[in-house]
Parts: sequence; structure tokens; C-alpha cells
Amino acid sequence: MSGQQRENIFPTRMALTNTKLRLKGAQTGHSLLAKKRDALTTRFRAILRKVDEAKRKMGRVMQLASFSLAEVTYATGDISYLVQEQAKSASFKVKAKQENVSGVVLPAFEVDRVAGSDFNLTGLGRGGQQVLRSKEVYAKAVETLVELASLQTAFMILDEVIRATNRRVNAIEHVVIPRLENTIKYIMSELDEMDREEFFRLKKVQGKKKRDAEAADKLLKAKADAAAAVPEELEDINFEGGGGGGDLLSSKDEDVIF
Amino acid sequence: MEALFFNVDSGFLEGIVRGYKAGLLTQNQYNNLTQCETIEDFRTQLSATDYGNFLSNEPPPISTSTIADKATQILVDQFNYLRSNAVEPLATFLDYITYAYMIDNVILLITGTLHERDTHELIERCHPLGVFDSMPALCVASNVEELYHTVLVETPLANFFRDSLSAAELDDLNIEIIRNTLYKAYFEDFHAFCQSIGGPTFDLMSRILAFEADRRSINITINSFGTELSKEQRARLFPTIGKLYPEGNNLLARADDVEQVKAACEGVADYRVFFDSSSSGPGGGSSRAPPNGSTAHLLGDLDDAIGVGAELEDRFFLHEVHLNKQVFLQQFQYAVFYSYLKLKEQEIRSLTWIAECIAQDARDRIHDFIPIF
Amino acid sequence: MATSFKDRNLLAVIGDEDTITGLLLAGIGNVDKGKKNFLVVDSKTQVSTIEAAFQEFTERKDIAILLINQHVAEKIRPTVDKYQQAFPALLEIPSKDHPYDPSKDSVLKRVQKLFGDR
Repeated sequence: MSGQQRENIFPTRMALTNTKLRLKGAQTGHSLLAKKRDALTTRFRAILRKVDEAKRKMGRVMQLASFSLAEVTYATGDISYLVQEQAKSASFKVKAKQENVSGVVLPAFEVDRVAGSDFNLTGLGRGGQQVLRSKEVYAKAVETLVELASLQTAFMILDEVIRATNRRVNAIEHVVIPRLENTIKYIMSELDEMDREEFFRLKKVQGKKKRDAEAADKLLKAKADAAAAVPEELEDINFEGGGGGGDLLSSKDEDVIF
Repeated sequence: MEALFFNVDSGFLEGIVRGYKAGLLTQNQYNNLTQCETIEDFRTQLSATDYGNFLSNEPPPISTSTIADKATQILVDQFNYLRSNAVEPLATFLDYITYAYMIDNVILLITGTLHERDTHELIERCHPLGVFDSMPALCVASNVEELYHTVLVETPLANFFRDSLSAAELDDLNIEIIRNTLYKAYFEDFHAFCQSIGGPTFDLMSRILAFEADRRSINITINSFGTELSKEQRARLFPTIGKLYPEGNNLLARADDVEQVKAACEGVADYRVFFDSSSSGPGGGSSRAPPNGSTAHLLGDLDDAIGVGAELEDRFFLHEVHLNKQVFLQQFQYAVFYSYLKLKEQEIRSLTWIAECIAQDARDRIHDFIPIF
Repeated sequence: MATSFKDRNLLAVIGDEDTITGLLLAGIGNVDKGKKNFLVVDSKTQVSTIEAAFQEFTERKDIAILLINQHVAEKIRPTVDKYQQAFPALLEIPSKDHPYDPSKDSVLKRVQKLFGDR
């Protein structure tokens, strides 16, 4: 159905040129978008693999981290409550920066760590070293998480962008281009039709002219014959000659019109 | 002399506590436990020991913290039994033991109150051994001044607070400094109390307390490297008992790195081995294995000092167990009660550790606990 | 979009006690005028509380990454699955008692689907 669509346009040569230009533009756009899509997809697949990998890695890292917390509990006892109460302001933050992939802005998080002293004294009397160690392990784990988060965000955004690009590519390929092509075909056929009509009419006119010319010839001949038959009536001939000239003039007029 | 009359008052309880001690897990039982594949197996194995079926009423996914809680509950029940049957001066001795837990609880309450937390939640989190009747009263206090006075009036810890802290300090100081100040006062007071009992109790307890005090001093020193804790503040946290006091403590107060701590401990033969990183720890036991490959890889450039510190902590534990075991070799003294408590605590820690290793599938570390027998 | 994530620099967590403790140790905790960026979930926590925290964290403008324990996410799965925004990035993390299960992760599910589809 969509294949039968065409633009509502008056079939003229001007419109034809314009439409042809537009078709050309659409084709260039299509190939560009397709290239972009391919580039994004390549990137996307790479990220996809990385996300998959990182997620699994995260499983291990977090396990290690919670194990280090078990060590803390072993040496110090339960510190969770104190830690929760002492949290004041974040010393572990992230910074967002952007990366450009084929015109798509992908955010990437970067770890932004300031040396905080929030829990420095936790486990002062006992198990401080374990606490410190656990702190480091968790910091490393969070770094992995941050990395994963940026991958994942990139994944989400790329997914969205690729979808949009795909939609556009498909729209151009299956709707815009066929429509323009149809329009061109339509204009061409209309123009052809007009050509044929024109030709036919010219033919017709020519035929008519030929017939008229023949008729005039015949008349002229008949007159000449008559003049030859009555040479003595010279005055008459002259008069008639003037009349013949008037006839010619009128036939000429016809010519001028066409 | 006092051995003559010891059994009149405390013979029964000493018998009980020695019976309890016989119920501590043996190496063999530990071996069985480390073979377990799941927590479920672990539970089955434990039910064959003195623990019995203490976990049988728990719903299936048993968390390691549940195991620790339940095991602690058993210990608390035993302790309370001892406490309610004790007569003076053993009763006071046992009370002194609980003061350490009370310090932790009070610190917890202070932290919670300062942040205006739900008091019921706080009380649930307190160590059951350190619970005292007037505890909920502490939660009523709304500001630090009030809290300070409540602590003075309502808790048995008043002595420690009065001598070492003022209300203003309670507000300014880091909670950990307060905790350690209190501990310092506690150790000194406990030490003085044992002295008043005298006899074999004092002999044994002074050794244990000296070690505990030194251990705290060393730990505080190592842990305060690179923190805002000034050297003067640090020196004030060191208990004035122990083998390191006074010269060792002075050296510790000035120490800037682990090497200097080591030098400070050089004077005491017992502690020298702790820093001997090449040996495998006193008693040839299970010093912590170096972090396995994947750990080392993931942690990358973790500071070496941390490794040393962690190892040190293990050796301290090992030495503590060693000291506490020796206490049982002597009769007619109260130190057995303290030692039993400590050994049992260590056992609970070991159990939790094994359970943790099983739950988290860290088989290569499962032998890093400290067996008692 | 280019400006909206510039001032997002915090991490937020919804998880069990151990996870929170560890992450706070790492230094992500931020308490600002009584507003915390973490929520401790235990067996007594209501699902509605978790939902509310989830909504709050996803709507806050200063949070870049939201971490949530997988078993907690499981409790509010419909909400989590519905969540499609890029910011804050939602990350399901394993907890001590619940090892990581990739098949439940809403993002990984999509990854798997995409791999399967194409």
C-alpha cells in the first residue's frame, strides 16, 4: 500500500528535477545513516560483551569484598552500626565525562576519590588493619561497579540511539525512497502522456495544414486554368490575382497562429 | 591459704566452668566442620558437639550472623548461670568482665542518641553480656550534657567516665577515642581489682591483662598511622599496665611506622615473635596464608603494612588463646572464668569464620581460624 | 542531556546491612540534612519502604549511580524492570548471602535477549 503512495505534486519538469534531487538526497542520507548504524552496532556489541563480562566479574569482586568484611567482623565484631552513624559526606564520588561515538554522546563515570578520614579511627583498639583492608577492597569493588555503571549507561543510551537510527534507516528505505521513486515515475508518465498528446495534436495540425494547402493549391490551379482560358479579360485576372493574394494572406495568418 | 577455703564459695562454679571448658570444640571436630559442603551440613556436624541442636529452630537459609548470635546466646546463658550463683568476690570479678561489653554498648547508645535514633533498635543491637537494667534510661537523654550525667548516675561505668572524660569532651572527641579512653580506665581498674584479690588470680590475670593492654597499645599505634590522631592523644590512650609500660609505651607513642613499633616491642621476649614476619607464628599454628592469587591480583598494590597488621592481629589472637589455655593449669583462682569466656568467644569467632567460608565458598581460607585444642 | 549528568556525582545504595557497611567503608556515604543516600533493608523492611527509597533515589538530581542488592531488587522487581532511564544508572549487585545470579538481572536479561535475537 505504502508502495503505491506518491507525493501530491503537479507533474512538471521543474517538479521532476526537484524530486530527483530529493531522491538523491534520501539515498545519500540512507547510506550515511546505515554507516552510522553499523558503527554504533559495532561499538554496541563490544560494550555488550564488556557488560556481560563485567557483570560476572562484579560477582567475584563483591564476594571478595564481603569476605573481607567477614574478616573485619572476625577481628573487631559488628561495626555496621557505627559505620552507618558516622557516615557524613561522601569521599567516594564519581565524575561524569563524555565520549563521542558517531555523534552520540556517551557518558562515562570516573572515580573521584578524596582522601576521607571518616572511619580512620574505627577499630582503633582492635582490628583496625582489617577495617583498613576491607575499606580498600570495597573501594576497589566500587571502582569496578562504577566502571560497570558507565558501561551499562552507555549500553542503555546506545541501545536507544541504535533503535532510533534503525527506525530512520528503515523509514528512508521503505517509505521515503519508494515514495519519491513513485512520484518520479508518476511525473515521468504524466510528462510522457503529455508528450504523446502534443505529438498527436501536432500531427493533426500538420495534417490539417496539408489538406488546406492542397485545397488552396487546387483552387489556384483552377484559377490559373481559368485565366489561361480567358486571357482577354486581363483586368479581371488582375482583380482575381489580388483576391488570390488575400487568400494567401489568410492562410499565412493561420500559420502565424500555430 | 585461700586455696583452703576456695571450694567453700567457688568450688562448685569452678567445677562447672571446667566442665564447660571440656565442651569446647576439639581439633577433630573443627576438621569435621571444615569438610562441610553447605551450611546445612555444618549444622548437622555441630549438633554432634556440645552445641546440640541450637540451630534446629531456625528457618532453612541460615545466615552466618544467626549462627554467631545463637552461639553467643549459649555463652551468655552459661555466663548468667555462673553469675547468679557467684558470691563475693567472684561476683564482682564476673561483673568486671561484663564491663568491657558495657563500654561497647554505652558507646553504641551514645552514637545512636547523638544521631537521634530509635532506641529500641539500639538496644537490640547491644551485646547481651553488657546489658544492664538502666540501659533504656540512657536513651531518654536528648543532649550530650544530659547523657553524660545519665551515664554517671545510671551505669556501673561511672568510675571510668568520671576519671577520664568530661561532658564537653564527650561532644568533641571522636567516638573511637572515647571508647579507647574508657577501655584504658577499665583495664587499669580491673587490674587494681585483681590486685586486691591477690593470690594466683592476680598472678594469672595480671599476665592476661598485661597482654590485653599491650595489644591495645600496639594496635592503637599501628592503626593511628596516617590519621588525625596526634601523638599526645595516642599516648593518652595507652593503658598504664602491661609489660610495655613505661618505656615501651613511650617508644610507641613516638613511633611513626611499623618498624619503630617493632623496636618498641623488642624489649619483651613474648612480643618479639609477633613481628618476626618470616616465622610462621608462635606455636607453629596456622598463621594466615598469603592472599591467594585472585585476591592478590584484584587488590593489586595494597599496602604491605596492611598485610603485616592483619597478620599481627592473628598472632595476637593466637597468643591470647595460648595464655587463656594456660590459666586452666592452675586451680583455686578466678581467672578461669575470664579465660573460659575468652576461649568461648574465640570459638564462636572460629565457627563464624568457618561458616562464612562455607557460605562464600572461600575454601582456601577455611583453615585460617584459631583452634583451641 | 549534556548538562543533566554534570552535577550527578553521588552513589546511592539500597541493600542489606553488610553491603551497606562495606560500601560506606569505601566512602560513598553521604548524609545531608538528614537525607541519606543509603537504605538498609532487613527482613522486617516493608516493600513499600523500599519502593519509596527507590523512587526517591531515582528522582534525586545528584545521584549518578544507584546500587541495589539483587535480592532486594527481586522484591520490587516490577518497578525495577520498568525503570528505563539512563540516569541514574541502575546496577544490581550481589550480596553476601545471595550470590550473583545473572539470569535475574534486568539489564543482563536485555543483553541476553539482544544476543539471542540477532
